[in-house]
Amino acid sequence: MMWPAARALMARDLRLLWRRRGDALQPALFALLVVVLFALALGGEAQALAKVASAVLWLAVLLAGLLSLDTLFRGDAEDGSLEQWMLAPVPLSWLVLVRTFMHWATTALPLLVATPFLAELLHLPHGQLPVLLAGLALGTPLLSLLGAVVAALTVGMRRSGILVALLALPLYVPVLVFGAGSVSAAAQGLDPVGALLLLGAGLAVALVLAPLAAAAAIRIALS
Amino acid sequence: MNPVVRWFHQLGSPPYFDRFAQRWTPWAYGLAVLVMAYGLYGALFMVPADYQQGDSFRILYIHVPSAWMSMAIFALMAIYAAIALVWRIKLCEILAMACAPIGAAFTLVTLVTGSIWGKPMWGTWWDWDPRLTTELILLFLYLGVIGLYNAIDDRRAAARAAGLLAIVGVALLPVIHYSVTWWNSLHQGQTISLFGKSHMDPSMLPPLFAMIVATKLWFIGSLLARARADNLRREAGKDWVRKLAGAMQ
Amino acid sequence: MSYQNYVVAAYAVFAIVLAWDFVAPRLQIRRELRAARLRVARDNSRNGSTELTR
Repeated sequence: MMWPAARALMARDLRLLWRRRGDALQPALFALLVVVLFALALGGEAQALAKVASAVLWLAVLLAGLLSLDTLFRGDAEDGSLEQWMLAPVPLSWLVLVRTFMHWATTALPLLVATPFLAELLHLPHGQLPVLLAGLALGTPLLSLLGAVVAALTVGMRRSGILVALLALPLYVPVLVFGAGSVSAAAQGLDPVGALLLLGAGLAVALVLAPLAAAAAIRIALS
Repeated sequence: MNPVVRWFHQLGSPPYFDRFAQRWTPWAYGLAVLVMAYGLYGALFMVPADYQQGDSFRILYIHVPSAWMSMAIFALMAIYAAIALVWRIKLCEILAMACAPIGAAFTLVTLVTGSIWGKPMWGTWWDWDPRLTTELILLFLYLGVIGLYNAIDDRRAAARAAGLLAIVGVALLPVIHYSVTWWNSLHQGQTISLFGKSHMDPSMLPPLFAMIVATKLWFIGSLLARARADNLRREAGKDWVRKLAGAMQ
Repeated sequence: MSYQNYVVAAYAVFAIVLAWDFVAPRLQIRRELRAARLRVARDNSRNGSTELTR
């Protein structure tokens, strides 16, 4: 029952996404804008940019993900599908997990693909790129899962924009610290593997616990 | 039924809790003020100035108890929230949400007094030291719980959602602290530990214990007062509230 | 260096925050009870109301 339900949900999400193909590019465009603004604010000089490049890239991805959180549950909350989820014969947390995965695949994966290009814009030293990508590959699903909990908590509310950011950002701190820190460590010649492993561990825990918390939050919001 | 168990059940009744809170709040505050008077007097006048830090270390008597309360209240808030979510006990919802503003207040005191203490001691109002940074994030977590509670119209759903956030927050707080500590160790130059290894002379301890006890008593008083207010708000249309308001004409 | 100003400032912050923490719930309680009184007055002035009162 669980795998057919997952396939059905994924197919539906892809179909809905295909109908609004343009929207899929928006997170990547936003990240590009953030990079441009940082470069302009910092003076555009290659040396200065290279020093902060990894941090700015992490922030661009994090903020783009934060903005796209709104689309995670809102569509289904508005048309009543979320209530059908609660009544479905499969666990609500499983549906949340599948939805979060699809959301990550459609919003964060394009960001990951765009990252090397953005890194060039900021003159990121080439040696740091693999660590950056590894950190983002582990960190963005983690951010999506944590974000899913916050999105679920606020799913009933209409104008929740800034509140979602205020709730999510403290929870994002460890991911940002270990992610940006791993690149920083690599730049200093230290071993980044420890930080990356911690991100991996966090992801493993979040894969199990975050859907459960988000499911509980949805039940509260729609009670 | 066991009298203690019966008393717990009775507390769950809104009018009974209102009477209970009204009765015990003044005692909690009164006792808190008494103990605090001793603690503050001791901190300001009895204790000798520190060998290294001079008089500025008297700020410790405010700063340390507030810091401990900021953490303890967050943990207690999460416990109340967990009970409220699992057993659907209205009173625990109310108590959990009442904890949040008090905890935020103590966190603010911790941050500001720490900053004021830091300026003469280490020459700077702020430092991205792990404890300071974690305390700042703790303030954001408190504000998030308060904000979420105020943002949802249905009081019960709001309390349960904000309670869930508190539980997630308490689970992540050690992770946040660890991550900031690790981050701090990466970036050289953060060699000043804001809480240096100054051992306290035994003569300096009694006022500190007094302040720790006093802040707990104060918290109990404030918790009862805020819980009473929230209880009245939730039960606004009920007869017992009307009678109570009418009796106070 | 005189630390007096810093100590005074810190203790003042403590006093102000605690004072706010004391006053805020009292104001809230007063507001709730006043609202309840007004509600009672409004219901009494509504003569022969057939509405269910909670």
